[in-house]
Amino acid sequence: MTLFYYQYVQLFSLLLAILCRKGLNFFSIGILIPILLLDNITEIIGSNFTRIFHSPDNYFVYNIYYLLSTPLYLYLFAAMLKGDAREKRRLLITGIAIELFIIVNYFCIQGRVEFNTFNALLVGTANIVLSCLVLTRLAIRKEEETKMLMVDPYFWINAMILLFSLVSIIVLGLQTYIALNHLQFEGKNLYFALLEAANAALYTGYSGAFLLCQTQRSK
Amino acid sequence: MPDAKEQITTTILAVVLVLLFFGVLFIMMLSYINFRRRQTAREKKAMQDQFDQQLMQTRLEIQEQTFRYLSEEIHDHVGQLLSLAKIQLSSFKEQEPIDFPLLKEAGGHVARALQDLRSLAKGLHAGHIRHFSIREAVDEEVQRIRKAGGLTVSVTSEGDEQKIKEEKQLILFRIIQECLQNCLKHAAATNINIGFTWYSEQLRVRVRDDGLGFDIDQAPTLNSGIGLENIRNRARLTGGSSVIYSRPGEGTTVTVQIPYE
Repeated sequence: MTLFYYQYVQLFSLLLAILCRKGLNFFSIGILIPILLLDNITEIIGSNFTRIFHSPDNYFVYNIYYLLSTPLYLYLFAAMLKGDAREKRRLLITGIAIELFIIVNYFCIQGRVEFNTFNALLVGTANIVLSCLVLTRLAIRKEEETKMLMVDPYFWINAMILLFSLVSIIVLGLQTYIALNHLQFEGKNLYFALLEAANAALYTGYSGAFLLCQTQRSK
Repeated sequence: MPDAKEQITTTILAVVLVLLFFGVLFIMMLSYINFRRRQTAREKKAMQDQFDQQLMQTRLEIQEQTFRYLSEEIHDHVGQLLSLAKIQLSSFKEQEPIDFPLLKEAGGHVARALQDLRSLAKGLHAGHIRHFSIREAVDEEVQRIRKAGGLTVSVTSEGDEQKIKEEKQLILFRIIQECLQNCLKHAAATNINIGFTWYSEQLRVRVRDDGLGFDIDQAPTLNSGIGLENIRNRARLTGGSSVIYSRPGEGTTVTVQIPYE
């Protein structure tokens, strides 16, 4: 079984999330445990798919991943936004629309064989918009509730999702082009070179946020 | 010359870096906004704490002032009247015919003492300032000074009277009391004018005396320096401002501006 370095960080963050589950529930982000479980399973299958199933690519795994992970991520954002009933309803409608597009794209537009770049772009854009929204709310919430951003678990989660999405929107959007043209950086496939680092940063940020959840719950 | 692939790779890397730069910039900007908001909240809380502390001190000072006034009133007026009535009544002998005019006079003294006690009781009512407007409270204070004699105190008002927040009213009243005390203790003034000007958003109170005056620059070393500092501090805590103007031989003018809310 092949595991890339960022997958160790990913596994570590899942382990930490399970250990800090009470802290995560305290901050209403317990949904991150199934998200991380799904991320880990996808990455493990994805990195070994071509070898085990003798398939030319692993696009199928990641296409399915978008289908399953999007509702979970939208639920996570809804929990972090802490909006009123009207806002939750709006988010639900947007979420249904995004999920419908992903399903339609998966079955009808780009199909199951090709990498669903439209889905990657759409999910990346949604992640950028929603993480910016959460971050802005954290920074300008009511004065009496204002606390230091650096000690807020939501800050680390959303800052890392934002930075990861900014990288992934370019890399995943051009994924097919990069693969076909064998674009390389420092002797490594450009896609891997950038996404591995972005993934490592994302899951390191998550791990820090989980520790903050646990320590702040104890207080 | 770099080949096409290399150019595209470099462009992709540059775009990623630019996007990351803007992402980090956005996060840093939010962190700065958050830092400023926390700083403002801290300052606001410190200001509120200071205001509460000052308010408590003001209440204690007004209470102390009221007790002092009561003690003086009882000793100088009620006590005197009752003593006089007691002396008059004790002069009556059982066998002697009753001296009705003297009895009537003694009765009159008791009645005046009773009237004084009633008006004192009214003033003693806990938090009585709360039930008055600032104008009424100042009028009552002026009455006390007039009663003591030796000083002409006038109160003028311009504009329509407005409601001031209770806490601010209490502090403003204490500021005026402090100004009047300074006039009585240090200024050797013969005339005092208290002028109220009611603006749409704030009230301006000007206390002017024709006393000795003093050199503002030397005030911190004088006894009244602490009192003046109190006036400035209290006006600032109510969200208002104060200006103290004085020159030797030209009297003193204290102007305080306080927002209603």
